[in-house]
Amino acid sequence: MPHTVERAKTIAAERHKRTFAATVLSLPLILFAAVFVLYPLASGALTAFQSSTLLDQSNELNGIDNFVSLFRSDGFAKAAGFTVGFSAIVVALEMVLGFALALVMNRAFPGKKLFFTLLLLPIMIAPALLGVMFRLLLNGDIGALPTLLESVGLSVSLFSPDSVVPLLVVLDVLQWTPFTFLIIYAGLQSLPKELLEASAMDGAGYFRSLFSVVVPVLKPVLFAAFFLRAIDAIRTFDVIYVLTAGGPGTTTTTLSIFIYKTAFEAGDFGKAAAAALVVLLCLIPFVPFIVRRISSTGMEARR
Amino acid sequence: MSTTTVRPSTASIRPRATRKPAASGRKWLFTALAGVVALIVNVPLLNAALVSFKPDGEIAKNPLAPPASPTLDHYANVLYASGYDFPRFFLNSALIAIGTVLVVLVIAIPATYAIVRLGFGGRWIISSASGLRLLPAIFFVVPFFILFSTLGLQDTIQGLIAANAFLNLPLAIILLSSALGDIPQEIEEAAAVDGASIYRTLGSIVLPLLAPTVVAVAVLVFIFSWNDYLFALVLSTSNATPVTLGAANFITSTGIRWGDISAASVLSTLPPLLFAVFAQRYLVSGLSSGAVKG
Repeated sequence: MPHTVERAKTIAAERHKRTFAATVLSLPLILFAAVFVLYPLASGALTAFQSSTLLDQSNELNGIDNFVSLFRSDGFAKAAGFTVGFSAIVVALEMVLGFALALVMNRAFPGKKLFFTLLLLPIMIAPALLGVMFRLLLNGDIGALPTLLESVGLSVSLFSPDSVVPLLVVLDVLQWTPFTFLIIYAGLQSLPKELLEASAMDGAGYFRSLFSVVVPVLKPVLFAAFFLRAIDAIRTFDVIYVLTAGGPGTTTTTLSIFIYKTAFEAGDFGKAAAAALVVLLCLIPFVPFIVRRISSTGMEARR
Repeated sequence: MSTTTVRPSTASIRPRATRKPAASGRKWLFTALAGVVALIVNVPLLNAALVSFKPDGEIAKNPLAPPASPTLDHYANVLYASGYDFPRFFLNSALIAIGTVLVVLVIAIPATYAIVRLGFGGRWIISSASGLRLLPAIFFVVPFFILFSTLGLQDTIQGLIAANAFLNLPLAIILLSSALGDIPQEIEEAAAVDGASIYRTLGSIVLPLLAPTVVAVAVLVFIFSWNDYLFALVLSTSNATPVTLGAANFITSTGIRWGDISAASVLSTLPPLLFAVFAQRYLVSGLSSGAVKG
């Protein structure tokens, strides 16, 4: 049957054309990923086992020396402890406050559009620039906040070891509560109305229907907001680095700041790469889990 | 905001049965509440804006008062006074952000089409893109520093564009692939039957349909690249310094010129803020759909 052969040929040619097009269209991505993703990943992992420094990238293998010195110094453990504690507190606060704000904004009221826009502004500001603005606001001599506190008879040294951590918590909450708010608000908007009407019909009060209807249905969205914030809180760098550079002492040194300082202040590339590798290995088990969570809710939140 | 994502709500949590006309007074309570929160989260920006209009003498005397005799001197200083590199920092940021947007779109759009429609590489590419998005940038700082020294990309605009493209490509691929998944494939098949090539179909049929997502990606990538600090800190020394680094530098290098610092930080914040406000409906859908931010 010449017809069938002809058809098979066209289909094969078609498939060939598609494969060729797919390769052509992906080529820029393949090249970019090879140079800027795969190579850095591999070289970063290799550097962790080398005695490499800022001044001398000699590439001499030194086994697990970097890891030994990393775990011997208490800087890494302290930074890890601070990062985890700081992240846990800010994320918890941001979830609760973001949810409350989403509930407020989920109603119709005068001026809502304007306030919605204003509420989202902090997310758009560069954390480093926000850090600069906070230095202005909190400055002991000319800052508005210390002046305000003094005028009501409080004199607190905001950057002292005792108050610096709560201060940074407040600042993080100010910037990122709008983010959890946005995600949860989008989720609230997608709630089917019937659900609430049904629970109202059953005579449920506000908080009752909130906790037994809204929260369970919203759970995937809440998880997404939680994970996204948790991941970002764990890699916090900009605001804290601009404000305190990890100090006083090492009180506010996050893992990111620790790795940065190890590499570019102490100049120990090997140890910094080792620390980065340890952090990476600790995070990787969570990645597939989080990706699944987010990709299943992301679609929902978009409707 | 009239958007498909965030509609002004008529359905509130409050069960309908208990909502009485008496609640109209309570509406204003919510206005007040939202207003107060919006004010509090924007205090640093507002404060910087106020200080930037105060003459030097006023800044130190009464930090709490609004400017009594507003001045534009600080803005003039920052923009024109010699000794400040601010205009160059600003230009660098603009070049880096715009360059990153272009590079990301040029790489991500065809690749996403190949992945989603032509079956290139399979789903794992999307998954690893999402995974990559979640890893801390700090892991890549040392390898990038070494790589950039080798390639001669240290302290160049191109180098920072590459670094920012690296940070933002995963987001672009995630957002574009989910949008592409929503477009019915029959349209493309019809085009193919009519004899359009794959490239033609992508260019004249798929791209226009993807336009809203492309805008969302462009705006987000612009903002994230403009806001980058870590890679700029490591990969730029003087030639390619962007405003995030430059404005922070004002503090240590010139110490006490608070008015100028305020003006610089306000100016540096404007482009992403303006973008965010004007493209809000795209932005909100972008942020809440891929739900992955920088």
